[in-house]
Amino acid sequence: MGDYYVSVLANIGMFSFIALSAYLLLLTGEISFGQQAFFGIGAYASGIATALWGLPFPVALLFGAGMGAATAGLLGLLTLRTRGLYFAMATLAFAELVRLGLQEWIYVRTVEDEPVGPNGVDGFRGIRYVFENGITPGVFLIVIAGLLALLLVCFALAERGRIGSMLRLVGADPLLAATLGIDVKRVKVLAAAAAGAIAALGGCLFAHLNTYVEPRNFDIMLGVHSLAYGLIGGLGTAFGPILGVLLDVGLLESVRVFQGYRMIVFGGMVALLLIFMPRGILDETRVRRIAGVWRRGRARARHHAEA
Amino acid sequence: MLKLEGVTRRFGGIEAIKDLALDVPAGARLGLIGPNGSGKTTLLNLLSGVVASDVGAIRFDGERIETLSAHRFARLGIARTFQNLRLVRHMTVRENVWLAQHSLPAAAAFRRHAPAEIAFAARIAALLGELGLAAVAETPVSALPLPHQRRVELARALARQPKLLLLDEPAGGMTPAETREMGALIARLVPDDVTLILVEHKIDLVTRLCPRIAVLDFGRKIADGAPGEVLRRPDVMEIYFGRAETADA
Repeated sequence: MGDYYVSVLANIGMFSFIALSAYLLLLTGEISFGQQAFFGIGAYASGIATALWGLPFPVALLFGAGMGAATAGLLGLLTLRTRGLYFAMATLAFAELVRLGLQEWIYVRTVEDEPVGPNGVDGFRGIRYVFENGITPGVFLIVIAGLLALLLVCFALAERGRIGSMLRLVGADPLLAATLGIDVKRVKVLAAAAAGAIAALGGCLFAHLNTYVEPRNFDIMLGVHSLAYGLIGGLGTAFGPILGVLLDVGLLESVRVFQGYRMIVFGGMVALLLIFMPRGILDETRVRRIAGVWRRGRARARHHAEA
Repeated sequence: MLKLEGVTRRFGGIEAIKDLALDVPAGARLGLIGPNGSGKTTLLNLLSGVVASDVGAIRFDGERIETLSAHRFARLGIARTFQNLRLVRHMTVRENVWLAQHSLPAAAAFRRHAPAEIAFAARIAALLGELGLAAVAETPVSALPLPHQRRVELARALARQPKLLLLDEPAGGMTPAETREMGALIARLVPDDVTLILVEHKIDLVTRLCPRIAVLDFGRKIADGAPGEVLRRPDVMEIYFGRAETADA
């Protein structure tokens, strides 16, 4: 497999994390324009952990995800009191603060005679853990795919059970949720923290694959895209946002005919979908229909096997 | 079990509930009537924690609860239905009733086939049967006629096995025949030990189900007692039947 395809697949994998992060909040009825902040926090935190502190990559992943969860949970605690635009505005403001903060932040140390660390607008160079440990891009791609698969299994289990029902009910009708005994604010804050951890994981992988990150990577466009992935792909299943990433990164960015027109096609796609499929391609109704066909097919297969 | 003292709730300059005192013993069935805008739904909102009172005390089993949030009211065993129906439209009847599972103890969330969950599933199956919803269990609620949608709300509230059940116009928008059917279902399915507060415009339904009636008018309780007495009071008749009729009487 060529390097180009590896990099496209790696991008699909990494953006799937931030897409799932925004999706989790959309399920609870909250729109975040700031998931890129946690992606950035994950990237910087994990980069510092491996490049400056010499910690192993799995520990750096946990550290990055933990930082993402802690900051997102705290932001949620402060801003999720009321529904609606308040949270959307707060996340956007927070994300811009984080980006501007990273532009100012200098924490450079000499590691093996070379300066390494966050260096303001010049970014954070020398996150070379993957390279130094002889991990090829192909192997790293497997790491990304494995983590993504694990995350999708978590989503699938949650959505089949009571947790998924709770998240969707909080999103669909918070008042009803409360009168059925659900602590709506707690559910939203926990969802925000989990979403922060998921976005941060994507950031950890991004930083270690590229070896270099800069504050510009985490601008508002990344946040808007991550939100659009769920709205395009659909809010009926966790595969919806993945489908959104596949369409954007996989099709528009990587297929030559679309190049140069990517943003135009993407913007048009979002506009058309919001009109004709307001909850995306794989919305609740379509997911239900597909699940029904699948169940009937399996029942028929079982019937044939018994006969 | 439920006791209100001096409860007042204002919306802007309007006092939706004014200095209300109410004592509802366990297992009582109280009908709540009054003209539109008299504060009936506001009272149910206060009793389910959906709105908070400005002044006054609400006691449930002796505990002060007026400052708690709605989910804490629910966890105390207070269930309600909504006049304007709160059903998740794309979900089936069974799925909507299953939403009551969020009142089960949290431990059941992580264990499939926990005893509490098995008992709950059996309870739902029985309720759907009793309410005549078994045949439409897999139909999206949005496809059902209004009387059936109201039954789904009732099923969801009953599935929680509440101590206090608040019904907000359970026969709203129904024909007399449908109303009678709903009355029979409520009489049969609400266990005797459950305290019931019924808000309803249809006096027949209220007198049939409730041995006690309270009347609200402009947020004040103007009468409280047996239907025979309450409905004969001139001020209540004036509200319900107009001034001319009371003058003739």
